[in-house]
Amino acid sequence: MAETMGQTASSTRNTKAAIGIVVLALAPQLFELVWSFGTIIGLGAGRGPAQVLLAHGGALLSAAPNAVFGSVAADAKKGFSSDVLLALIYSYPLFAVAIVTLFVKIRAPQDYIGGIMLLALALLALWASSDLQGMRGFSFGAGTAPWMFGVLLVALGAGIAVMGLFTEGPGLAHYSWRGPLFVCAAIIFFALAIRPLGLVVSAFASFMIAAVGSHETRWVEAIIVGACLTVACALLFPYVLGLPMPMFPRFLIQ
Amino acid sequence: MDLFANLAHGFVVAFSPVNLLMCLIGALVGTLVGVLPGIGTIATVAMLLPITFGLPPVGALIMLAGIYYGAQYGGSTTSILVNIPGEATSVVTALDGHQMAKQGRAGPALAIAAIGSFFAGCVATILIAVLGAPLTKLALAFGPAEYFSLMVLGLIFAVVLAKGSVLKAIAMIVFGLLLSMVGSDIETGASRMAFNIPELADGLGFATVAMGVFGFAEIIRNLDHGAEMSRDLVQQKITGLMPTRKDLIDSAPAIGRGTVLGSILGILPGGGAVIASFAAYTLEKKLAKNPSRFGRGAIEGVAAPESANNAAAQTSFIPLLTLGIPPNAVMALMVGAMTIHGIVPGPQVMQKQPDLVWGMIASMWIGNLMLVIINLPLVGIWVRLLRVPYRLMFPSIVIFCAIGIYSVNNAPVDVVLAGVFGLVGYWLIKHDFEPAPLLLGMVLGPLMEENLRRALLISRGDWSVFVSRPLSAVLLAIAAGLLVLAVLPTLRAKRDEVFVESEG
Amino acid sequence: MNWYGRSLASASLALAAVLSAVVAPARAQDYPTRSITMIVPFAAGGPTDVIARIVTGHMAQTLGQSIIIENVVGAGGTTASARAARAANDGYTLITGHMGTHAASVPLYPNLAYHPEKSFEPVGLLAGTPILILARKDFPPKDLKEFVTYVKANAEKVNAAHAGVGSVSHVSCQLLNSILGIEPVGVPFNGTGPAMNALVAGQVDYMCDQIVNAVPQINAGTIKAYAIATPERNPSLPNVPTTAEAGLPAFQAQAWNAIFAPKGTPAPIIAKLNAAAVKALDDETVRKRLLELGSVVPQPADRTPAALGTLVNNEIKKWTPVLKPAG
Repeated sequence: MAETMGQTASSTRNTKAAIGIVVLALAPQLFELVWSFGTIIGLGAGRGPAQVLLAHGGALLSAAPNAVFGSVAADAKKGFSSDVLLALIYSYPLFAVAIVTLFVKIRAPQDYIGGIMLLALALLALWASSDLQGMRGFSFGAGTAPWMFGVLLVALGAGIAVMGLFTEGPGLAHYSWRGPLFVCAAIIFFALAIRPLGLVVSAFASFMIAAVGSHETRWVEAIIVGACLTVACALLFPYVLGLPMPMFPRFLIQ
Repeated sequence: MDLFANLAHGFVVAFSPVNLLMCLIGALVGTLVGVLPGIGTIATVAMLLPITFGLPPVGALIMLAGIYYGAQYGGSTTSILVNIPGEATSVVTALDGHQMAKQGRAGPALAIAAIGSFFAGCVATILIAVLGAPLTKLALAFGPAEYFSLMVLGLIFAVVLAKGSVLKAIAMIVFGLLLSMVGSDIETGASRMAFNIPELADGLGFATVAMGVFGFAEIIRNLDHGAEMSRDLVQQKITGLMPTRKDLIDSAPAIGRGTVLGSILGILPGGGAVIASFAAYTLEKKLAKNPSRFGRGAIEGVAAPESANNAAAQTSFIPLLTLGIPPNAVMALMVGAMTIHGIVPGPQVMQKQPDLVWGMIASMWIGNLMLVIINLPLVGIWVRLLRVPYRLMFPSIVIFCAIGIYSVNNAPVDVVLAGVFGLVGYWLIKHDFEPAPLLLGMVLGPLMEENLRRALLISRGDWSVFVSRPLSAVLLAIAAGLLVLAVLPTLRAKRDEVFVESEG
Repeated sequence: MNWYGRSLASASLALAAVLSAVVAPARAQDYPTRSITMIVPFAAGGPTDVIARIVTGHMAQTLGQSIIIENVVGAGGTTASARAARAANDGYTLITGHMGTHAASVPLYPNLAYHPEKSFEPVGLLAGTPILILARKDFPPKDLKEFVTYVKANAEKVNAAHAGVGSVSHVSCQLLNSILGIEPVGVPFNGTGPAMNALVAGQVDYMCDQIVNAVPQINAGTIKAYAIATPERNPSLPNVPTTAEAGLPAFQAQAWNAIFAPKGTPAPIIAKLNAAAVKALDDETVRKRLLELGSVVPQPADRTPAALGTLVNNEIKKWTPVLKPAG
């Protein structure tokens, strides 16, 4: 069924795919923007939203194009800020891919999109390691291996995407949101709570949050099992295995 | 003659009530640690180290050794039941083991893993006793160039592991290699792709990524609409608990080959044990009449890697016992345990501490016997666990994984990262990318890069060292041969399918 | 690129702060009323960990509360030290620092999240572990004098192994190299085990390492030692001359381990902890165990918090010109 869906929809879906890739191309900038709102309420110490907008906007709209078309391109690479490099190394190639996407017939969307996302990851890795030193004489620099494998993954991701253009394959699989959302919420809650609140509270609460992720959950049963499991963990990890973890909320102990 | 006298002495030491008890405790704790996802042997041995303060040194080391190889037994359990490999060595077991569980054959898979491990453990223990000293030369013959070539070979194994597209498998390996480079550069200490997150300074932990792309991703996928059907099916059709006669006949040669490969690779201190299990898997897949069964529940695909990783776990004691040099992090902890007791292991440890060395060797055999006796009856309990409704099972796995990951470094960030990798794994599943080559790339990446750089530093940039050193050249030649073999089947895939159909 | 890390860290800190706002201030005279966490910035079983466990085992008896060792591994021990620096300064979180984390880290890591002097109160020096100049067994020079001439003449050819950037073996070898004025190729390994393996196998020429791991190998003849970088010979290696005796008095290095508390920990608590540490060092079994490790137990005058403060200050001055920042 999925295959036929991919088949019939592929021509109309190209615009959607292209828009998706553009969003992907701007994802790190958007991520920093979302994150920067935290600075307003005092969380985090990065740049504020206005600074982020200005820096990335400037990088995307003027600095990077200048670098591409301007005469400075020869040996000024070191002079670029990391924002401009992000635009140059990551966003622009993906914009190009998005434009190409509009004009091709995608035969295997699963492979095509998968390949492009790998490509994006590889470009991101290339950007992240662009500040590292390359070869120093005969010896490898810190950046040599990441650069080598980053380029290789760019090629492989592109290769997979191109395969998706020429061979028939399955369409995009369906993603659900409930499971991922609540399982991740449970994990993040556990991570934030284990130190201040201790094992007992965080294990039980995370169990319940994760349980929301399934529509099959029966609440009474989940509470009982969650409580039993919490007790079991509280005995097993600190006592049987001797792992040092806080058991109860910090403010209760003192 | 000397050997028998030594072994007899060792058994006298190991059979003392205290040491027997220590061995049993070690085996039990090891099984538990192996079964619990996330909690690694390193963390547990580290945590139990202070307890050994108050114990006699021989007993303490027997217990710690028991935890180490006991975890190899337990590690297969979560791989098979819930598709979560707790250690690098059990990634491969998950491939066919979990498929067997899905077909209702979790019992035979678990049992064959225990039986294979026991056989391998026995053989490897004898090997340590008989050939320990001469085999040490192998450990010293492996320099950076040889390790690099071995890791190249390992990466080729990872390609062969994949059941789908070779291109995608290679892409996953390279993705894994890139992930492995996050953290501090070994030579300059420069921070690579760590985004200034202090917890990333030492890179991504194996447990973090494995729990994410295997454990959490599998849970998230199972929560999808429409996934209930296949899950419930698993619970209904559980067949026998023990392997059938056919299973045993099929696995016997695989166990034998796995044991040999594991024993040899285990001796190499710089990460040979890591590639033992998938070298064994690859070998079985290449030798099999019908390689397409692999990845779909072939019992050899469980028997061979489990035998190999247990054999490697045993023979990795050789460098410690003969040279006094710890070949891996767990062994380094055992050296710590010895120094706490005032024994600093060195090349003469066999002569100076016969009680310790031979007692430990003897205890390994006893420990393996205990483990198989513990693990076979447990099979029934584990299989019954599969009948727990998934709506209760999955939050429990989430909690166990979260606690496990946290306990590795006491770092909350690791737990968050595992969640992120859960989403990455979910995405990989949706695009039909396999996570196993990714993990193997991640494990082998640092070993490959570091040894490449070391070799080039020592040779002053001369790449010919990799072919001018005979051992290295042989390994590279095998790698090249395997690569050809890996690519060929995709070319003649159609012919194979026809062949299978006419046979069936 | 800073914002990812800092924001994540501060988000969890903020939550922690909100949730544990009701903390009663610890009263110094009752101290300690509950168990104390001792952060060890290295893996369990390593030299620092063993020393910390031996000494804290005795300190716990004196203080009447258990001391829980928490091994926090990472980035040459700086991850753990940064965590200890951020911890509450109530005397319930301590750290066993060493020469790397509380001196050499200053020049090595320009973005260090703490400063050994500004973020910590010195409590007391525990032990010093001598450093040896080691070489593969078939390395041509026979003694230290020949070694010096040989490596100077063959600076292009020799390889020096070390156990990773920031490790004791790396840092001390840099000191040796800077004294000799050579820049050999440094071959990095992951820890002293693999580095020692390479030296035994003859894959590298020389390295500097702590005495603990090296003694059995030297006694078995699988490697050789040219000199020990301390003022006096060590009882576990009576035949190995000191650097002064062998003609290189400038090379003096010890891997020291010491207890630190977060800055602002009340003086009475520091005094109590120091007294417990001193008492432990005077204990016969503790002493014996430390000596078995090849460590040197500090003289009474060197055991005070003030003496440790001076040591840290001197060590930072000593390492800063030698070590270039990493990366």
